[in-house]
Amino acid sequence: MSSNKETFSQISPSEFFYRNRDLAGFSNPTRSLYTSVREFVENALDACDQKKILPDIHLSIKAVDPEQADPKHYILTVKDNGPGIESKHIPHAFGTVLYGSKFGLKQARGMFGLGATMAILYGQITTNKPVTVRSCSDGKTLDEFVMLLDIQKNKPVILKHNTKEAAKTGLTVSIVLEGDYSKAGSKIRDYVSQTSLITPYASITFEEPNGEKFHYPRIVKDMPPPPTIIKPHPHGVDVETLRRMITDTHYQIPTVDDRMIEKIKKELGVQKKKLGAKDILDRAQKKWSDLSRPVRTIIAVMAFLDIDFDGLQKIRIDDIDVANKKVTYWDFGKAQSHAVELDTENPYYKQLANTVQGDTLLTFLTRRFQRVGPTTAEKFCEFAKFKPEKRIGSMTNEELVRLADALQKFDDFLAPDPSCLAPLGEEPLSKGIMKFFNPEFAAVIQRSASAYSGFPFIVEMGIAYGGDIPPSGLKVYRFANRIPLLYDEGSDVVLKIVNETDWSRYKIKGDPPLVIVSHICSTRIPYKTVGKENVADRPELERELKNALQFLARKLAVHMSRQGAADMAKKRANLYSKYVPLIAQFATELSGKKKEPNYKQLIRMGSEIEEQQV
Amino acid sequence: MRLKNNKSSSKSAEIRKKNLLALLQKHGLHIYEDLDKGKFPQFIIPSRSVSNIVYDKKLRQYVLGTGSVVRSSRNMSQLRSYTQLAWLAFFVNRLVQEGKSSTLRDIYYSSQAFSIDFEDQPESDNIIVDLEAVTASPREDFHIFPEERSSVFGDLVIEYTVPGYEGKRVNLSDHPDGYLIGPSLSSAELVDTSAELVIAIEKGGLFTRFVEENVHKKFKAIIVDTAGQAPRSTRSLLRRLNKEMGLPVVILADGDVYGEHIAMVIKSGSANAAHLRELTVPDAKWLGVWATDIEKYKLPTIPMTESDIKRIYDLQKDPRYQEGNWKKQLEVFLKIKRKAELEAFSKYGLTNITDKYLPAKLEESKSL
Repeated sequence: MSSNKETFSQISPSEFFYRNRDLAGFSNPTRSLYTSVREFVENALDACDQKKILPDIHLSIKAVDPEQADPKHYILTVKDNGPGIESKHIPHAFGTVLYGSKFGLKQARGMFGLGATMAILYGQITTNKPVTVRSCSDGKTLDEFVMLLDIQKNKPVILKHNTKEAAKTGLTVSIVLEGDYSKAGSKIRDYVSQTSLITPYASITFEEPNGEKFHYPRIVKDMPPPPTIIKPHPHGVDVETLRRMITDTHYQIPTVDDRMIEKIKKELGVQKKKLGAKDILDRAQKKWSDLSRPVRTIIAVMAFLDIDFDGLQKIRIDDIDVANKKVTYWDFGKAQSHAVELDTENPYYKQLANTVQGDTLLTFLTRRFQRVGPTTAEKFCEFAKFKPEKRIGSMTNEELVRLADALQKFDDFLAPDPSCLAPLGEEPLSKGIMKFFNPEFAAVIQRSASAYSGFPFIVEMGIAYGGDIPPSGLKVYRFANRIPLLYDEGSDVVLKIVNETDWSRYKIKGDPPLVIVSHICSTRIPYKTVGKENVADRPELERELKNALQFLARKLAVHMSRQGAADMAKKRANLYSKYVPLIAQFATELSGKKKEPNYKQLIRMGSEIEEQQV
Repeated sequence: MRLKNNKSSSKSAEIRKKNLLALLQKHGLHIYEDLDKGKFPQFIIPSRSVSNIVYDKKLRQYVLGTGSVVRSSRNMSQLRSYTQLAWLAFFVNRLVQEGKSSTLRDIYYSSQAFSIDFEDQPESDNIIVDLEAVTASPREDFHIFPEERSSVFGDLVIEYTVPGYEGKRVNLSDHPDGYLIGPSLSSAELVDTSAELVIAIEKGGLFTRFVEENVHKKFKAIIVDTAGQAPRSTRSLLRRLNKEMGLPVVILADGDVYGEHIAMVIKSGSANAAHLRELTVPDAKWLGVWATDIEKYKLPTIPMTESDIKRIYDLQKDPRYQEGNWKKQLEVFLKIKRKAELEAFSKYGLTNITDKYLPAKLEESKSL
């Protein structure tokens, strides 16, 4: 190969991220340290959530050489009590980019598990030190891997692997990276403390480079119900998603290789025997309903070509064009392409057509989308001007675009299913707020599910006033999918709603000791920027936030007026018992009297008078 | 020797003191009785709001109108300031009885011994003005003095009334730097004088020059240094010299709009002190430096600033500047937009002001 052609070769995902690390939040030592902490902590919490384990997270950041000035090398270690990762998956999970278990449609903190690998990659780039992973997934053995990433090949390079006995499941990841703790420290502390607020069922300890330890104990013992993985909502898919749904493995032309032939033999129960073409078809006929789709497809092709397994080994199926009734294949023996007409009378024709063209549109809609029944599906077909029996595998590009467009525009689909969401719940949120702020008053609300563009979301909000909250003005704690949002506060939709509120209407003045905790859960948070720190103002979201805030503000107002009356009476009593005796003392000397006047009744009266009318 | 011309006002300082103490006791009694009867005591304070300040042509000074405000201990928002006012009455009573003096700043700190909390000095200063309004007496009568001091020099015999000096007499020409117009001088009785005139002068430097040049002898004058805008104790002394000793008062100030107003305040008071009488010298004469003098005596000048000009426009709205020389001079100032200081006469020799200008102006003033 000449070097010219190299220019057009693919680059591995690792290499892509290596070249574009700024995009993923690794732009400088400060931001990178913060992002790495986030990625590992969020992975740990997600892992525990999935297996309903009450999380126990230990985070530590240590300087390699404490004497050195920032930016310098730090050892970042995050340890959890989650399910761990099976030994055989570890090298790939931590040594390749784009390897993850989070590709389903449900709410999770991270989307694809990319971030952790990015952090490992960043550590390796800046310090040339390997990542250490200790995992125990069965409660008996602990695997320790020391690995580097081969960036060009997107492959792990295992430097060391050993096992020992263990008593509990869990995962520990430790990397060495260049960071600037003097600058990132306050953000990381905020991040950890706010994470503990929104994850009250977790116990989190955090050890800073200077040895100072923070411990956030578990406040509630019950975990919120975990989210379920669900099918997409019709409003939430675009052409590309649709294309992927249609051409996923069920409808692909199977590759004929030794493994596939073994599979066919196994499904037919003929591993040992050597059978002719006809025997194979007879056998298949009997077992047809138990056969998998790829096997059915290949057997149908074999029927048309009239070949046995030996024949099958010599060809590659290139195309099954049901519309033009043609099967095209490559013959390795003759090294040329052949096309065979399909006989529509052949009983295998229908099988082939079904398998290759896929479901009818009606079945596709009801099976592959959430909350679409036959009635809705039929109505939709009429709306979109497609025949319900249209095979989705036979759709042209133009038809696909038209279908995707119609899916967006059709209004009669039911609202998205919120069971894929995992809100915290009112009680844990309330307990978290009470413990965290120790306020004089607190209220929480969880709104019912709503949706924007086919993505379900739930707004949870809490308000806290007085107590240990410093009177330094309103502070908003923003969370999305249980992640604290710390940057870019100004342009966030929650801030916008809070600032638009006329707080004097709720008896709040000046710099109140007031805190608002906002939590948005969604399968897709509408972030404004790649940085994922501020949420865009979608009208549906804005409405839900506004309703939640107004509900809480009204509750606060009731508290304030009750508190106000009580405070006023107490204040009056205090003032009169302070000042009346003084007035009496001055008057006695001024008037030249010896004995003080009897002023007791005046103090009592003073504390009892109603507020004077102005 | 000129003796006091009015026998009935002999020992005037003593009488004022007695009246004040009686008034304070009366207020104390009211409060005491109210408390005893279970009534919320209150003060009625003449209102000092702008709408209640009017110019009294007969008295030739600003006075308060009939408006007044009630400060009641029944109202929670007024309770604190009511107590502050009661405390001040009580504290002033002690000061006057014991013959002790204090400053505005002292009052602010003294309050803390009685758990009366003033947030800052302006708050306590304000309560002092309230008590001035309630008793219609200047704070100097309460033995409360501001920090600024001015001086007096000339053949005037006074008799101290302050503790330790009672009956002791001094002649105010004994010390060439002059005598500070402080608490002891303010409370002293004026006994006699050979002077026939009082010259109030704006600046300390020229005050010293006047003493050196024997102006007090040449013109038979008592010289008072007002040190800028005359403090109330100085205005009070000028009034007493005028009323009790029958001396005419003339004023020399810088040739600018501020100088003109210094003269006006001595003559007819300030809006700030509209709640007080007995601080003005209605017959006092402004000798100069007039705007017209600047031209006439060919004085070196400096240009007016923006704020000087703004001040002229402000004063043109004041009813006292609506006629006569006061009005005319403002107009000339506005026209020439230049000003001259008293020191400007030094261009023609250090004694030019005492030898030439002063006699000429005194002569001119006779026709005013």
